[in-house]
Amino acid sequence: MTAITAIASLPLLILVLLTTLELGSLRVVAARVRSAADLAVLVAVNDQDDAELARTGRLIAAGDAADVTRALFAANLEPIAATLARSPAGIAGSASVRVDSSPATVHLGAIVPVRTPVFGALFFHPITDVAVMANGGAR
Amino acid sequence: MHGEDTGLATLETTLMITILVPLLFAVIEFGDVFQRWLAQESATVQVARYAAELGGDSPEIRALLADSLRRSGIDPSRATLDVTPARVGWREPLTVTVRTSATVAIPFLFSSVIPLRTTAIVRGELAR
Repeated sequence: MTAITAIASLPLLILVLLTTLELGSLRVVAARVRSAADLAVLVAVNDQDDAELARTGRLIAAGDAADVTRALFAANLEPIAATLARSPAGIAGSASVRVDSSPATVHLGAIVPVRTPVFGALFFHPITDVAVMANGGAR
Repeated sequence: MHGEDTGLATLETTLMITILVPLLFAVIEFGDVFQRWLAQESATVQVARYAAELGGDSPEIRALLADSLRRSGIDPSRATLDVTPARVGWREPLTVTVRTSATVAIPFLFSSVIPLRTTAIVRGELAR
């Protein structure tokens, strides 16, 4: 009887296993997205306006800081492009990027849609949105 | 009759073990792979940042990678590090890739080696 119960509950156990694996995979992708956002903001905020720094000693973000943030964010999402529901360039393009002059700070906010086929089959949720926010300041 | 019951219980237990043990090991083994992947991801980002500051590939960044991987329980001698380009200029793109592998062994099912590849892209911060 025990064996029959175990065999009968096998599909349920496999579904639990698949859900666990998908959650783990989503966690890894979310970490990658966070790293991409952090790197993009760090690189952009380190890109100072050299002329302004030499003239006044103030740290001002370079004029292309927003473009650099988007480009680096997209480039760092590229290795996980297969798991994303949109292209990295599209995600970076629609991300909210704000560059403040004084103090020199860069802020990035984005919603990254991740493919989750197991969640789609089980809970009609084939795409899970990962929200990410990164902030960097020059010093 | 009692002997038949014992035999049936043994058979049922054996069947259960062959079903439940692989499931349990699958959770444990893949959990370990995900943990290694996260650790490697973090190490790659740190190495990329350091490489950007040093201007490319150097023994220092390889030592940092080895140290980071070792602390996460990953054998650094089995990891490969690619820094492209090896020498980077101010504001030029720099790509750092770390490759390792993790073995997944699930009793009664399979044993396989899963390649883990993590990449970080930064820009050179060293004015030459």
